[in-house]
Amino acid sequence: MSFRKEDFLFRRILEKEMDLWLKEGIILPDQKERILARYRLLKRADEKAGPGKLITTISILGAILVGVGVILFIASNWSAIPNWGRLFIVFSSMLASYGFGFYLRYEARNYPKVGASLILLGSLIFGAGMFLIAQIYHITVHYPNGPLLWGLFVLPLAYLLRFKSLISLAILVLLIWLGMEAHLRALYSSTLQTTTMIPLFFMAGIALWGVGLVHREWEALKIVSSPYILIGTLVTFLAGYLLTFNLYGGRFESSGLFVFYPGIAVLFLGAVIVRCLPGEKEKGWIPETLGLAALMVSIIALSLFFPKASATSVRGNLTLFLNILYALEIVGLIILGFIRKYPVYVNIGLLFFALDVIARYFDFFWELLPRSLFFILGGLLLLFGGILLERKRRKILSSFDIEEAGG
Amino acid sequence: MRWKFIFFVLLQVALLVGIIAYRQYWVATGERILLRTAPVDPRDIFRGDYVSLRYDISTLDLDGLGAKGSFKSNEKVYVILEKNQEGIFSAVSVSRGLPSGKRFIQGRVQYETTLSKWEITLKDDSENLHELKPRWFENVKRGDRITFCLDERGNVLHFYKEDADYRPKCSGQSLSGTIEAIKEMKSRVLNVEYGIENYFVEEGKGRAIESSRNARELRVEVSLRKDGKGIITGLFVDGKLVR
Repeated sequence: MSFRKEDFLFRRILEKEMDLWLKEGIILPDQKERILARYRLLKRADEKAGPGKLITTISILGAILVGVGVILFIASNWSAIPNWGRLFIVFSSMLASYGFGFYLRYEARNYPKVGASLILLGSLIFGAGMFLIAQIYHITVHYPNGPLLWGLFVLPLAYLLRFKSLISLAILVLLIWLGMEAHLRALYSSTLQTTTMIPLFFMAGIALWGVGLVHREWEALKIVSSPYILIGTLVTFLAGYLLTFNLYGGRFESSGLFVFYPGIAVLFLGAVIVRCLPGEKEKGWIPETLGLAALMVSIIALSLFFPKASATSVRGNLTLFLNILYALEIVGLIILGFIRKYPVYVNIGLLFFALDVIARYFDFFWELLPRSLFFILGGLLLLFGGILLERKRRKILSSFDIEEAGG
Repeated sequence: MRWKFIFFVLLQVALLVGIIAYRQYWVATGERILLRTAPVDPRDIFRGDYVSLRYDISTLDLDGLGAKGSFKSNEKVYVILEKNQEGIFSAVSVSRGLPSGKRFIQGRVQYETTLSKWEITLKDDSENLHELKPRWFENVKRGDRITFCLDERGNVLHFYKEDADYRPKCSGQSLSGTIEAIKEMKSRVLNVEYGIENYFVEEGKGRAIESSRNARELRVEVSLRKDGKGIITGLFVDGKLVR
């Protein structure tokens, strides 16, 4: 008899739920035992299987280490190995880990988690192979093409197998591509500074987030929605956080980066349209979609029109505006997490709230207070803030009635 | 599932093989030429395990080549090459359109700039005249008293006005006198990138090549495609192939 992951989850939730029923007098202790006895086999299998997340983490780490090892081996034995030898190592190790991984997960089925990690390793070696070929032929023209092709060619495999690890790899590699490509364009346009890339990543984060939400509503793609949503929210909030500092001095955008705007906007618009199609919706989907759309529109509007308004007063107001926007983002995310009982939103919201408090404390009080008092007060603020946040977080999470690890 | 998986993996293999085949075809069928490298600012040359290369043709003297009009950044250009007696190729002209019937290499404009060269005539205290070519010479007029600091070969390292507050000491020889004549020649210079600026080597080997580079002659063999795109096929230090 084989069990699915959902079966284990069901049993764990059932056990917890029955404790409540017992407390409320809905069932009697022996009834609880009798019900649980029905799922004894499931419990034993669950205990034997051990902590699944740990196995996945360990084998993914293993895959990454081996991938790095292959690259280093070839790089450090450059002259000893002829070109065909290096290519042979790349191709054989890539095909072997794909093949063996597929066998373990889908044919023999005895080591599914290790099999999945081996497939991830295959995709890592594929990317490494591309860079090694570029080195062998001394290809330097337009190096961002490397990560672009890597990400695009991993995506079909990721969707076929519905692996979170492969989706995450593809998203991260494509974000790296965006950064490299934007940096290269920045070199050709005279007015650009690195800071002008922040709005671009802000937009990319929102688009990823939107795409993730579409995935979550689609039953077949639900399982791969979390990398999009997690990376999307993190990128959005990190960019939003950086925007709260006054980094700009009138250079909010660069026309050199406008070429990316239509693509990101279309991706996001597509996600919004699909989300508005009739069907079963999760709670709070309208404010979430509207909020994301408002963020996207305000960033695009600022990028297009802000640089022309160069008066100092406008710049000052913009910092204030971006701070307010950021605060609204945090409040919105936490409320959404609350309504939807989604701990990830609450955790991310509280994390960036804490970062904001630290940053604003430095902004406002560094000049005003004597140094010693500054540090003492800052330390106390952090300590009490930490306790307060942790208590609040636990309260919120326990009100969801979900185990933190399970969520 | 299995066949789909195999299909997508084969797609990845096909991409890698495609890149290899395309480059290999280029190397096999392209026309081989030799280019001379130019010294690179030593602070910037070595990053990781590749050698950063500049060529004589990386900076083009537009007036000398008779090119009209100005060039935009990132614009595609064709540099027409001619072989000299040593077998090295150098630039004879530059064009925006595809040249026909000539040997050329394709590149992209980094930026166009104006460079000044100076020829200074200095009269020393014993009334002897000296010709000097400093790399920079501004805020000085005829009749000013100047001290030049020189290296062993007589090149100007730096200079200062004798009535200035800041007078950096010369570590080697120096030359003082009155400025007789200042001749400034401005020239338009085009910086071009050809996609052959990096040469990958074994870890740790790049630094050795770098350190011997400016002293010895470094030549690069490039294979040219029909449309003028180049790919490095070999690196020669004093005529010896480096692997």
